[in-house]
Amino acid sequence: MVGSASMGRRILTVYVPLALFLVFLLLPFYWMIVVSLKPPTDLFNLRFNPFFIQHFTLKNYRYLFQETAFVVWAKNTLVVSVAATALALSCSVLIGYALARLRFPGGSAMGVGIFLAYLVPPTLLFLPLAQVVARLHLYNTYWALIFTYPTFLIPFGSWLLMGYFRTIPREIEECALIDGSSRLGTLFKIVLPLSLPGILSAAIFSFTLSWNEFLYALIFMSSGPLKTIPVGTVSDLIKADVLFWGPLMASALLGSVPIAVIYTFFVDHYVSGLTAGAVKG
Amino acid sequence: MPDLHPAAARAGPLSAGGRGTYPRSLLEREPSLGLLLMLPGTLLLVIFMAYPFFLGLWLSLTDSMIGHAGRFVGLLNFVNLINDSIFRQTARNTFIYALVTVPFKLVLGLGLALVLNTRIPFRNAIRAGVLMPFIVPTALSSLGWLMLFDPIFSPFSWLLKHWGLITRNINFLGTPVLAIVSVMIANIWRGTPFFAITILAGLQAVPAELHDAAAIDGAGAWQRFWNVTVPIILGVMLVSTLFSIIMTFADFQLIYVLTKGGPANETHIFGTYAYQIGLSATAIGQGAAIALYMFPVLAALAILLLRYLRREVA
Amino acid sequence: MAKAQRGRRVRRPSKRSHGERSGREGALRISRRALLKVAGAGALGLTALGTVPGLWRWGGAAPAQLKGTSLSILQATYFIPTAQDLYKKQAAEWGQGQGVTVNTDFLNWPDLQPKISAAIQAGGYDIVELFPGWNYLYAENLLDLTDLADAVAKKGGGWEGFVANDIKVNGRYLGVSHGNSNDALNYRISWLKEVGVNLPDPAEQARTGKILDLTFDEWFALGKKLKAKGHPLGQALGHSQGDPPSFCYPYMWSNGAMEVEKDGKTVAFNKPMFVDAMKRFIQAYKDGFDESGPSWDDSSNNKAFHAGQLSMTLNGSSIYAVALKDFPEIAQDMNHTLIPKGPAGRFSLLGARTFAILKNSKNVAGAKEFLAWWFDDKQYGDWIHIQGGYQLPSTKKWAKDPMWGKDPKMYAFSLQPSIGRDQGWAGPPNAKSGLAFSKYIIVDTFAKAVQSGDAAGSIKWGADQLQAIYGG
Repeated sequence: MVGSASMGRRILTVYVPLALFLVFLLLPFYWMIVVSLKPPTDLFNLRFNPFFIQHFTLKNYRYLFQETAFVVWAKNTLVVSVAATALALSCSVLIGYALARLRFPGGSAMGVGIFLAYLVPPTLLFLPLAQVVARLHLYNTYWALIFTYPTFLIPFGSWLLMGYFRTIPREIEECALIDGSSRLGTLFKIVLPLSLPGILSAAIFSFTLSWNEFLYALIFMSSGPLKTIPVGTVSDLIKADVLFWGPLMASALLGSVPIAVIYTFFVDHYVSGLTAGAVKG
Repeated sequence: MPDLHPAAARAGPLSAGGRGTYPRSLLEREPSLGLLLMLPGTLLLVIFMAYPFFLGLWLSLTDSMIGHAGRFVGLLNFVNLINDSIFRQTARNTFIYALVTVPFKLVLGLGLALVLNTRIPFRNAIRAGVLMPFIVPTALSSLGWLMLFDPIFSPFSWLLKHWGLITRNINFLGTPVLAIVSVMIANIWRGTPFFAITILAGLQAVPAELHDAAAIDGAGAWQRFWNVTVPIILGVMLVSTLFSIIMTFADFQLIYVLTKGGPANETHIFGTYAYQIGLSATAIGQGAAIALYMFPVLAALAILLLRYLRREVA
Repeated sequence: MAKAQRGRRVRRPSKRSHGERSGREGALRISRRALLKVAGAGALGLTALGTVPGLWRWGGAAPAQLKGTSLSILQATYFIPTAQDLYKKQAAEWGQGQGVTVNTDFLNWPDLQPKISAAIQAGGYDIVELFPGWNYLYAENLLDLTDLADAVAKKGGGWEGFVANDIKVNGRYLGVSHGNSNDALNYRISWLKEVGVNLPDPAEQARTGKILDLTFDEWFALGKKLKAKGHPLGQALGHSQGDPPSFCYPYMWSNGAMEVEKDGKTVAFNKPMFVDAMKRFIQAYKDGFDESGPSWDDSSNNKAFHAGQLSMTLNGSSIYAVALKDFPEIAQDMNHTLIPKGPAGRFSLLGARTFAILKNSKNVAGAKEFLAWWFDDKQYGDWIHIQGGYQLPSTKKWAKDPMWGKDPKMYAFSLQPSIGRDQGWAGPPNAKSGLAFSKYIIVDTFAKAVQSGDAAGSIKWGADQLQAIYGG
């Protein structure tokens, strides 16, 4: 670690900001936990301190699992997110490499072009997209989302990976090529392993956006048991003018905490200084 | 020791296959390989993005209603919107929304990334934990914020009243200024982790040796930050910022759940207004025009920025 | 999920067993036997009618063709879960009997429009539930169901006023109405007593018909007294399509203004009587209401009422229904009355929901068969009864149904249909009124007035907006 940081300095520059960030970012989740563990009659009782649980109950979680198809929603969301991420990531890796390393006609234009995909909001795009999805007979199938999600996952992923690929010194690849490796070989055997932080970053980004998505899931895949967590939660736990806050918050928590736990393990694989090590050695 | 400065990582063709071997297969030649690699993703984007996009563009140039194909009217929708006071208010709101939240998200994200890049206990758990606002579906977290901002039952109001600091509940989403401030807070909350995590990965690529070398040369922490760190993560920061600007301009779900653009259009942004006109009122041609209003400007911004990135970052 | 009724003999409405077939010519005729049954049912309750097979023999398609087909129905998620389960059961029952795979989907009602729009573009649903005004918006994509609608109306003794005025599009019925959810003034009995309003017992009110009868100004005066005791009135003024318009439109009408005249073109919003009334409302809002209303959505007043924060608020019977279950002391202490009246009368914003068939449906015959069967007294009746008055029925004969007598506190809702009118009054509830409604022009006028204190300016703003829509 660079610089001899004294404990006091560390507290000021690291721990205090960290604490503030954590409070800001995690307070709403604390709130969700509290709401999900309170009976509905306690929720809006102004005599009770809203931040504490006066009467603990698991009723809301029971409701979520027994009265709704939450487990099915979770399965659907997982399938779609994993598949869409895999598809998007594969495409992004290829595009990112092409944009970073190769010169080919139209490269510049295409690189910018795919980013322009973001400029059309989904709230407009979904209607003409519905026609495409229907014509390809993808309506109410996983494929509808697996194919449409990459449209907003690929552009950013490609640019992210392009950036990462470019930080890898060309000498490494050139050495490999001289040693007889093929182009694609260097991509898969040299570049990818060195870009792991970037790839994980793109994967996390893609998975999260897929997991999170609402509108396309509502329009293209919301029939019967085929709902995702966001769609199912909103359609089943909001009845006319009554919201079932406890189960709603329970769903929000169960729909995010497990993902964060999984991310903890991937975040473990961020290894810094790989690049330096490879060239040194 | 080879020069590790990223400037040495030149974009462009590798001096490949040059030693007298003529690249035979398509997979070795740059032009063909390049196009081939672009193919899968581009194909997907063309089918599921380009076609609907042009259709959407076409819609904005017609007077279509849902289920009722309209006639071509040129830029009439766009012109009419200028005379629509609600649209003007929407445009103002959207600019304020984006131009205030994005810098906050960038700065906070950068700060958080720097903190997370240090040795702290439970680092992995904390790194994953700070991603939570980004992970939880917006459709659901915004319901949580709806409770936090409740005009009668907000826990914040309760606490402040309990401490005797205020006597009346805070109407978070009910007054002109406070409403937009509240939705911006929720937006910043949701967006900061995205910046943090992408910048963090960028920070990982900064070799420790560079910091060591600079420190040995006597550079202080701030100088090291500006001269070593920033150049390396500049690309990542720029792309993330561009992405965030575009996404914030196109935001919908958060505001839709919290206020649906109310009260009295004080939090309407392009996304919510386009939804209201295009889907609730079924005037899809006008709705498309609202959604695409920023397209030329954002496109220009994107093109400039990306061109810059694709060139040398010296 | 819907449970299949295995082993149960399902009445097949398509069986040609009785000599009561009508409409070889395509027109519907009600058999004499059925008519006698209707007459005989009388005060005994119309459920005695039971199943009369073939009452709605839809002229044309032979039912045998339906076997093996599928039918998809889209509706809003019900407030009353047992009613939703009942509908699913009924649909499954019919499907089983016909050999049709029926799929029923339920979504949060604000999400229906994008889904319907996508279905119009790309297919996917045969029958969709439409909220008031939507018949006009999607008119070109809906099947003409005039014959079926006429038959349902005839059998039901005619449409209720709020339906008849609402669902015809250029003289044709593009959907069959199943009514709409209710709305009335909810109030806390004991708190009204504290400020000097002593009412007879709810049972007696229902018996005599003498419910609390207020004008808006009287209501505001009450509110002032109630708020002084810490029990304000509550009214949402945010961007929700439920509660805010349910107050704003009636207040406008009661005070002599409306969106357009009968010609559907002349904007009649900026009227002196309305401006004065708005001034009184602005004052009343400060004096008697919970002033955070502009940020309220449809669920806010429910929560507040249950938490004992409000004394009176306009809402459907969802507050009462939840109170019965979770807040019995409040259920004991509350009752309902009609919305207050103004100089120009008493009105309730009440349009009609309908079930419509999309033109691009791949199973039009099945859809028609199903609707005809579902609107039969047995199915519709069961469905209405299980909701206990939450759903206002669409035809007149249900007005005197015994279900209204079960709980005297529901009495006021039974009176609501007679004062109902829909958006766009006095013009039709068409695309223009739909635009005004979706843009919350009326609601925002009130929100602006309350925020700025400027009645005339806000109403002028609203009038200009309406002019742009109707005059432009």
